[in-house]
Amino acid sequence: MPPARASEVGSPAGGGLGLVGRPLRRREDERVLSGRSEFLDDLDPPGLVHLAFVRSPFAHARVLSLRPPESAPGLLAVLTARDLERRARPLPIQTPEGAEVADEPHPLLAPGEVRYAGQPVAAVVAESRALAEDAAELVEVEYEELDPVADPAASDLALLRWRQTSGDVDGAFASAAVVAGGRYAMPRLVAAPIETRGALASHDPARGVLTLWCSAQDTHRPLRHLAHVLDLPAERLRIVIPDVGGAFGSKGSLAPEAAVAAIAATDLGRPVKWAEDRFENFVASYQGRGMEAEVELALDADGRMLAVRARIRADLGAYLLPATAIPPHTAAMLMAGCYTIPAADVEVTGVRTNKVPTGPYRGAGRPEAAYFLERAVDDAARALAIDPVELRRRNLIASFPHRSPLGWTYDSGDYRRCLDLALELAGPRPPSEGGRLVGSGVAMYVERAGGSFEAARATLEPDGRVVIRSSTSPHGQGHDTTFAQIAADRLHVDPADVVLEFGDSALVPGGTGTFGGRSLAMGGSAVVRAVDELRERCAQAAARLLGATEGEITWSDGGLSAGDGRTLGLGDVAAAGPLEASARFESGLVFGSGAYAAVVEIERATGRLTVRQLVAVDDAGTIVNPLLAEGQVLGGVVQGLGECLAEEATYDDQAQPTSVSFADYSLLTAAEIPPVAAAFVESPSPLNPLGAKGIGEGGTIGTPAAVANALADALGGRHVDPPFTEAKLWRAIHG
Amino acid sequence: MKPAPFDYAAPRSLDEALGLLGEDAKALAGGQSLVPLLNFRLARPELLVDINGLSELAGLERNDGLLRIGALTRQSALERSELVAAGWPLLTQAVRFVGHPQIRSRGTVGGSVAHADPAAELPVALAALDARFTAQSPRGRRTVGAGEFFIGPLTTALEPDELLVEIEVPAPYDRAGSAFVEHARTHGDFAIAGAAAVVARGEHAAIALMGAGPAPLRAPAAERALVEGAEPEEAAALAASAVEEGHRRALIAELVRSAIEEAAP
Repeated sequence: MPPARASEVGSPAGGGLGLVGRPLRRREDERVLSGRSEFLDDLDPPGLVHLAFVRSPFAHARVLSLRPPESAPGLLAVLTARDLERRARPLPIQTPEGAEVADEPHPLLAPGEVRYAGQPVAAVVAESRALAEDAAELVEVEYEELDPVADPAASDLALLRWRQTSGDVDGAFASAAVVAGGRYAMPRLVAAPIETRGALASHDPARGVLTLWCSAQDTHRPLRHLAHVLDLPAERLRIVIPDVGGAFGSKGSLAPEAAVAAIAATDLGRPVKWAEDRFENFVASYQGRGMEAEVELALDADGRMLAVRARIRADLGAYLLPATAIPPHTAAMLMAGCYTIPAADVEVTGVRTNKVPTGPYRGAGRPEAAYFLERAVDDAARALAIDPVELRRRNLIASFPHRSPLGWTYDSGDYRRCLDLALELAGPRPPSEGGRLVGSGVAMYVERAGGSFEAARATLEPDGRVVIRSSTSPHGQGHDTTFAQIAADRLHVDPADVVLEFGDSALVPGGTGTFGGRSLAMGGSAVVRAVDELRERCAQAAARLLGATEGEITWSDGGLSAGDGRTLGLGDVAAAGPLEASARFESGLVFGSGAYAAVVEIERATGRLTVRQLVAVDDAGTIVNPLLAEGQVLGGVVQGLGECLAEEATYDDQAQPTSVSFADYSLLTAAEIPPVAAAFVESPSPLNPLGAKGIGEGGTIGTPAAVANALADALGGRHVDPPFTEAKLWRAIHG
Repeated sequence: MKPAPFDYAAPRSLDEALGLLGEDAKALAGGQSLVPLLNFRLARPELLVDINGLSELAGLERNDGLLRIGALTRQSALERSELVAAGWPLLTQAVRFVGHPQIRSRGTVGGSVAHADPAAELPVALAALDARFTAQSPRGRRTVGAGEFFIGPLTTALEPDELLVEIEVPAPYDRAGSAFVEHARTHGDFAIAGAAAVVARGEHAAIALMGAGPAPLRAPAAERALVEGAEPEEAAALAASAVEEGHRRALIAELVRSAIEEAAP
């Protein structure tokens, strides 16, 4: 057998150690569970001072005057919008393709008008957080109250408009045998990571570098945002991310408060920390969802879907944060789902309300799209008197690549297999009995992940270990384990000899960011490319050291061997000189998919809902680590169930937030989680060397839609929007 | 979420503590309700009187057939007490619904009673057991029943200078069974509604409701009906009849029905 060339050995088809696909346990957990991790609020550099904010008590008001106290114990500085004039710009706004967005960025501190309760009006720096809060109370602000808009339906101010029409929609509706659908709404949700947001800024005047330690999802988005706000070149900024206690999308954009910390640190010449408290997290951290849609499906008499029409209204809140416009656009783009619908007319209007802005929260438009469309599909099945599973079967996309009428190209999938497997795992629907209404439902989804680029750098250290620096950054997902697994597989080393480094803009290469289930497909593929490049360098170096040609070098567990059997370990190769390889991986979007099934039970007397069973079948392409992938699915399912059973960010008619602590906003506990059966279908993506897609969001996407369909089944077709509280369900039953 | 400034005192005797209490002072026991209120700056006492050192206020004892619960008794001590489980099982049943184990290990029985959250379990169970509450101040000691003690949400008959020192609970009717049930969105969350029942059908009944009014509410009509032999469903409807809103009425009726059935199957 001729020796394989190094570059060929690195292909995903073979030559790996067989680590990819194995359920390696999370190696990052021991440090976290034994209390050795270091979160933002653990940082306590010498000279540290603390930041607190004066926040608007009103949802809409004019700021008539603002008077800081003459003095207060420990008070160092009070910053207002006026102090930031000409020194700081508002955060930038990201515009989705084809969308019109208003120029309404979020100011760092309110300049004369406040537009949501909780908006930062002034910043107070003091020797301790407690003293800063005491001093913040002494800042006298005179407001003139203005009429707030609480209800998005009552808002006539659009901050975002987008519309896409494709195919003969009017003709399809005119010729349809049945038009079915309805109005479906998902409330606003709070991401509620266990670690709230926060930042610690420190300015080094000698080097002219401002360092921001930040509880963030990645380094380079905060870097870009801060560079924009301060109008500074990126090389004068450094972003460092300590351990992060969850984000779920809510730490993707630089917090306005973090930018204020950076300015205060520069002014005072002392490190300044803002550690968000839970109240601030409820009122001032961007929220998720908050969308409503009118959906109509046109079908022929055989149940073939002819067209979809949807009008989505998103409650964007008071300003556009960097990613506020993204989730509604994503929802709109997915409104053809996994069906062969030839024509579509989808319009999104994102309206202003006097609430904290919305932004990405786990799923970020995908759960909304699945919920809107899958509810409409079940309503159509009822109208046609066809079994909802059968109706889906008649319309599933079966060949790939598939271009959706909304313009995205689905790369691969096996939707029928997902549906079959979900039904098999769910088993037959149990009957209603006694005082209990039982219902079952399925929901399917397609989601987009990946796209743009990520980067990695792989270095062979003199001691034979491989250090990989990645542009994506973990906050609970398990990058450390999976990326080491990928690299070790290709380099034929023990994963323990692969060291991952993340989260320091001075060390890691730049990337797009860690969000939307993109880390493995994009960041993991960048690791593949960097490691393959490193392999090639190692082979070249080994050939040189062994006096062989590169083509004669083979890889094995023991190291690199020449044709005559002489072998060098990676350490021997490294000892001859450092080897390093960098790679940037770029690709189009990848589309994961799945089928979820739920069985629910409603207590007739009280309306109390119990989810009896949940089945999650996800196709995220190639699964690198089934243990971690299942963990991602379960975590997503729990958040999806939370949305079904308990979660809702509420406001009164004056747009005052009324869920401002965990006493008002319930997160599920283990006691509420039903048995969950999770399984995978693997349709590798042709767009990256791992064949990977995204797995982080499937649970939040499939669960609410499946539970809602099961609920409608139990209620004889009646629709109820989440959260499915017992009061709502009782009214649905008892009229 | 840092409290406004306050002075702090840790008295070594009950008399010293009573001398410190007053209009601008708050007693700190387990802190499970007070500390969040302080952190939200919703409570702004000038002085916090930490009574955790007053060990004479903690303890469970049986005396002349009465259960005496020191106000500083931890909820977890009540939960684990064999004396209570044997003689006053309703309290064991109810205390398990109070928050989570971590909360119960700090939270006190007296704190829960004196705070009088309308969604608190112990006041409802104690109301069903005809408990009496003893308050002390430099002016003296007085003892009142639940109907007089619980006035409304977060409001009791305690004067600012009074400290709840003891709760006495008569022995329940000896052939009665008991049950505590509640509805909460999630395990350990504040309950939406609940019911406590001590019932021997055709002989004795005590029903107390949570979430049917601003304070724990007894259901005398339902109690009479049960003594007269009514079915649980009928008694439950009577208990809930005072509740106006339809779903809450349905919820309370269902909770009372299941509490009666569980107490006296």
